[in-house]
Amino acid sequence: MNAIVKIENHDKQEIKFTTCYMCACRCGIKVTLEEDKVRFIQGNRNHPTNQGVLCAKGSAGIMKQYSAAKLRKPLLRKPGSERGDGEFVEIEWDEALDMLTERLGNIRATDPSKLAFFTGRDQMQALTGLWAQQFGTPNWAAHGGFCSVNMAAAGLYSIGFSFWEFGAPDWDYAKYFIMWGVAEDHSSNPIKIGLEKLKRHGGKFVSVNPVRTGYSAIADEWIPIKPGMDGLLALSVVHVLLSRELFDWDFLIRYTNSAWLVVDTPGKPGNGLFLRDEAGNPLVWDIEKEAFVNGLGKDIAPALFGDFVAPDGRPVRTVMSLTAERYLDERYAPENVAEECGVPAETIERMALEMAHVAFKETVELDIEWTDSWGRKHDKVIGRPVAMYAMRGIAAHSNGFHACRAVHLIQMLLGALDGPGNFRARAPYPKPVPPHQLPENNQDVINAPNTPLSRTPLGFPMRPEDLVIDSDGNPLRIDKAYSWEIPIASHGLMHMVITNATNHDPYAIDTLMLFMANMAWNSTMNTKNVQAMLREKDPEEPGQHKIPFLVVVDAFHSEMVNFADLVLPDTTYLERYDTISLLDRPISEPDAAADAIRHPLVKLDRDVRPWQEVLVEMASRLKFPAFTQADGTRKFKGYQDFIVNYERSPGVGFLAGWRGKNGEKSLKGEPNPKQWEKYIENESFFAHHWPDNQKYNRYANKDYLDVAAEVGFVGKSEPIIMQIYSEPLQKFRLAGQGLYDGPQPNNPADRERLTTYFDPLPLWYKPLEQSRVDENEYPFFALTQRPMLMYHSWDSQNVWLRQILAQNYMYMNRAQAGRLGLADFDWIWVESHNGKIRCQLRTMEGTQENTIWTWNAIGKQGGAWGLKPEASEAKKGFLLNHLISELLPAKQGERRITNSDPVTGQAAWFDLRVKVYKAAPGETGSWPEFAAIKPLPGDTGERPDVLRYSARSDDKK
Amino acid sequence: MHPAFSVIFFTVSSGAGFGLFALLYLADLLKLGGGLPVEQKLIAGLLALVLVGAGLTSSMFHLANPKNAWRAFSRYRTSWLSREGVFAMVFFPFALIYLALTWLQLPAFEWLRLVTGGLGALLAWITIFSTGMIYGCLKTIRQWNSPLVPANYLALGHFTGALILLAIASQGGVALGGYIALVLALLVAAAALKAIYYFWIANPGTGSTIQTATGFTRGKVRLLDTGHTHGTFLTQEFGFQIARKYALALKLFVFLIGFLVPALLLTTGQDTGFGIYAAVITALLGMVAERWLFFAEARHVVNLYHGTQRC
Amino acid sequence: MRLGLVIDLDVCVGCHACAIACKEWNASGATAPLTDYQPYGAEPSGVWFNRIRSYEVGDYPNNKTINFPMSCMHCEDADCVTVCPTGASYKRAEDGIVLVDQTKCMGCNYCSWACPYGARELDRESGTMKKCTLCVDRIYDQKIPMEERQPACVLTCPAHARMFGDIDDPDSAVSRVVRERGGYQLMPELGYNPTNHYLPVRKATPISTENMGKAGFKDRLKNIANRIVKR
Repeated sequence: MNAIVKIENHDKQEIKFTTCYMCACRCGIKVTLEEDKVRFIQGNRNHPTNQGVLCAKGSAGIMKQYSAAKLRKPLLRKPGSERGDGEFVEIEWDEALDMLTERLGNIRATDPSKLAFFTGRDQMQALTGLWAQQFGTPNWAAHGGFCSVNMAAAGLYSIGFSFWEFGAPDWDYAKYFIMWGVAEDHSSNPIKIGLEKLKRHGGKFVSVNPVRTGYSAIADEWIPIKPGMDGLLALSVVHVLLSRELFDWDFLIRYTNSAWLVVDTPGKPGNGLFLRDEAGNPLVWDIEKEAFVNGLGKDIAPALFGDFVAPDGRPVRTVMSLTAERYLDERYAPENVAEECGVPAETIERMALEMAHVAFKETVELDIEWTDSWGRKHDKVIGRPVAMYAMRGIAAHSNGFHACRAVHLIQMLLGALDGPGNFRARAPYPKPVPPHQLPENNQDVINAPNTPLSRTPLGFPMRPEDLVIDSDGNPLRIDKAYSWEIPIASHGLMHMVITNATNHDPYAIDTLMLFMANMAWNSTMNTKNVQAMLREKDPEEPGQHKIPFLVVVDAFHSEMVNFADLVLPDTTYLERYDTISLLDRPISEPDAAADAIRHPLVKLDRDVRPWQEVLVEMASRLKFPAFTQADGTRKFKGYQDFIVNYERSPGVGFLAGWRGKNGEKSLKGEPNPKQWEKYIENESFFAHHWPDNQKYNRYANKDYLDVAAEVGFVGKSEPIIMQIYSEPLQKFRLAGQGLYDGPQPNNPADRERLTTYFDPLPLWYKPLEQSRVDENEYPFFALTQRPMLMYHSWDSQNVWLRQILAQNYMYMNRAQAGRLGLADFDWIWVESHNGKIRCQLRTMEGTQENTIWTWNAIGKQGGAWGLKPEASEAKKGFLLNHLISELLPAKQGERRITNSDPVTGQAAWFDLRVKVYKAAPGETGSWPEFAAIKPLPGDTGERPDVLRYSARSDDKK
Repeated sequence: MHPAFSVIFFTVSSGAGFGLFALLYLADLLKLGGGLPVEQKLIAGLLALVLVGAGLTSSMFHLANPKNAWRAFSRYRTSWLSREGVFAMVFFPFALIYLALTWLQLPAFEWLRLVTGGLGALLAWITIFSTGMIYGCLKTIRQWNSPLVPANYLALGHFTGALILLAIASQGGVALGGYIALVLALLVAAAALKAIYYFWIANPGTGSTIQTATGFTRGKVRLLDTGHTHGTFLTQEFGFQIARKYALALKLFVFLIGFLVPALLLTTGQDTGFGIYAAVITALLGMVAERWLFFAEARHVVNLYHGTQRC
Repeated sequence: MRLGLVIDLDVCVGCHACAIACKEWNASGATAPLTDYQPYGAEPSGVWFNRIRSYEVGDYPNNKTINFPMSCMHCEDADCVTVCPTGASYKRAEDGIVLVDQTKCMGCNYCSWACPYGARELDRESGTMKKCTLCVDRIYDQKIPMEERQPACVLTCPAHARMFGDIDDPDSAVSRVVRERGGYQLMPELGYNPTNHYLPVRKATPISTENMGKAGFKDRLKNIANRIVKR
């Protein structure tokens, strides 16, 4: 060792394990602290999610912890100041909580729906959902509605698990992997770990994406599709597979509803529903018995194709016959979709054949004995090693639900689901299709004062009766989720809350409580106008805003905080207890069910409280039944006590590890008072590794399903039959057609939407905004994506990360820019039907020619996030959001309809069409411009010009 | 390369100083124009020391951590920068002894005067050469990595030194013809070398390209992202670029003001006091422009990683 | 022994994880701190040892994006060391790591001029040149678990695109992968003989699409004979 290099002194260091908070990955981290200062954050090698690696955001956690934007104390809008002026006075926690208790107590005692509680990128929806349910308001959801609800819904209504966090590709065995429109922002570390594994094994990686950056950079084949056309491409692949009989007969018959019989009586009630026996079982035609038999039964030989006549005389057809008929149509032939998709026909055909080759000729066989749900023993697990993953590129379009269903259809045809090398489920998934959980829709319960809802506000409607509407058919939720306009809004429509609440449509609310959701900036569509809505006064109630009271909970000084009437400051992730629960968005991996915790590593240096703690406190003050003893006293001392002792059902709580009195039980067991300690001892996570015989084909794996039923992942151990044909959708369509024996919509727009978009088989239609604007006037598709180094990272504009990316540009294909006379660094105007922005152009090769795109959420309002007003994020950075309307362009004679997927309410960010032209000489800097946000009380706004961070205590000089 | 004023002043000033000293010694030895009076020799010698000293002092302003500057003499075995410092320092005692003996006019020590002066001149040449080699040895900068660079430094240092010597001689009542001839000869040599240098750097040659820098050979390589939005040390130090037309204009300026005007002044009967001083001033202006351009036109290969196609 | 890095360009997704891990380790590391300028201001910048650039090769639609991390190459013939006038820059005989002794550096920038790879950055506050140390204060720290005695960038890389080892040892993992994958050095024409190597993009094996299925299912469907699949 050379004497010059000094190894650091570890005497004053401590190593602790906790869980990262930067995104939905929630990796395990190992944190080295030196005298209460963070020395080093690294990945935890033992953690199932990240296996020791860590992304840029995770490592930049140091600068998040020492952010200049941290809130320090509860804040009240300064009396006499206007909302949005950002003038606050500091108040004490007691005062803040008393004020909130009184206000919420009044709402709860009169009309609980007048509280809307929406949360952003939080990781605690199980708690916030329970809280809202106990409060008695249906107006709760998280950010899934603008993130990927159509992706989640498509999976849960088709295969029982889904892209997003309910499944993952099997990187160990996959030989062909298609990534549909994943920006490099999703499932950060697992995908990176996996792509390397796949490529090392010689697998092929195909990326379908208009932009070639990040993950797509390393794709073996890049397919620069036009945005919004993924569904059409997928259905063309289906066409090729079907036309060459390249599908897995066994898989389809055993594990999907492809052989179920559909009543074929167009124009009559009951058309398109399954033929069922008296017990409600779907029927199939048994080709050995030559009879209609229970399609769920055992020892049957269902006909995959065929037209039959039911005993009652109605004509019926198998799902597969309908499927073949639809997609064998020349409409879906590669040569007929090539132009629309922007993908050559030969490429589409080759893709389909390559997939089929890998699925059927490069099969993986594992010597693992397993038993299927019908009791049949198998001596091998067979894998058709084609894996897929999809995300924002499909999700953020108004045709995304069906596009995603189309991708799942390919997977089902290939028999490539939850087997070796496939897209596989992560516990607690798979669940029944769809999960048996209905949103609360009993109007009496919803309106009852001081009464919890009987079930959670969110769920999965099966039929029109499940909608959350009043007797006149009007929405009961402020975001209109589960109304005729948006029937399957499984995650709610956060992006509509402010607009609807401001318009008092469907009704006025009193208090909007937002947690970690930057709805005044990058997390909303139409930012500039949304800011105006937040400021809007109610002409009928002098002195009162359209949204009377706005509570913002956040750890950092965001643009949203600026609009708050009351600010409740949260802690950072290194300062609090937290759970990452199986009841919530799981961190499980296909081979292990897993959950995790956080615990405080760094001492609090300011007057802030963990939001979890505040929620438990408020629940106790407001005497929610689940938080209150029979004698009216509080049930839980605080958050930690709640987590240990709350049981959703006997033995099932927020944490699945070390349950039972002595911590001896996993997944299920009575509360363990030492549970937190056990987690901390075990590096802050718990993993239950599935034995080999429970790892695959879990939709029909008896041993797995027995366990899943026992621990409450599913209701009972029975096969989960995948739904190529979705009967719930058909029921809504029948309602639209006026043929449903039950509630039906009155509004012609709703009827038309149900009839058009609630197709029980996947379909493709032109994204809605595109069909309403002049495509010649607005010739470009415009997209955003989050860079990997900032994705989902709250306060991503930290000192280190912002050096890498402090200004976003608008990217355009180089040749295309040349044709328009545009060059690098030109200032340009980008205009949509909703408005215009000015930004700076960069050209690149890897962008589809009809597409422009930018990095999202780099643009900041001056003064926010602890930055100086002159920060380039504020002066040159920009948001595309101003161009995107939350409403579709108006159509005569129609009420304004949300710019969302009509099936699920997923915000259709990516449907945007724009025109681009050069700014006049002298027009520079981003536009629109916003006034700089004022510093908070106690903050002079001064910031150092030089930062020399070091955690080494021996460095102090 | 970023043209730092401290370094431009340093090289121009010390180059002129060393050139002046070396030529002073030669003129003294050869009794050019009948031999300079002692006074003139002393003025020339001291001015040379001032120019060298000012240059070296200026170079200190280039250092971010000057308190360690003394360490710069330690690595003379490998570093031209260190050598330059060492030779410059060794130069001073010889030069001072030479000047002291010139002042004292001790016949017994005339041999020592000539020996120390000779060694001083030799060290001056070596030092200028070392200064040139500081740049010339860098493989990272094609425009510098050539024997033409130390040759240029030597020629330009001597040319400006000769001009200053002429200006001093013009006050000493000696015959100026030899001095003017010396200036003109050096002017022609320096201008020729500079012209060769400019032609030489204009030829891109077979040096490093964005392909060799990245190893990507299958097609055109374009930079997509630098990985930082604003400047870094690398862009500040190496990112400087001068537009071709400005470079051309500056080259014309160098030849016009640096070489042509002094030549005209000295050859068209303007070899009086005013003409000579004007020649010194324009030549030095020309040299500053030359030196600025020397840096501005140098393209460090690290720029290949920032999207430059070839250096 | 000649320690260095091997970077796999076939799998680097350009996520900047290595750059930040490097920054956080070294912010409190052997040459700590690494100064940041205008951290909250108009044009933030700072001292980094590892920067990731992205390039596009070829024209649309046959373009390929390649992410390209760069840090000190720990060259065998390191001109940055030979040109250093103070002796602050040195190359360790025992493992080939190139370091800057912060107590000796006078901040003349000359070493950075000699470096073709942009590996050296001046810290204006300390007035000294800083650069990748290959985490020399990690890899020899006996108190760090054996498997973690690697540079922070290698430890963190989510795509495992970075490997660390002894390029002199023909049997080391890095030497083997360089041989097998055709690992190369940058700007070999300059003769610096960098220790770090880059692995080129792999060429995917073509997948056969011959004899896949039988066309004309639409016609066959009219008289299809169902297969017996029992369940």
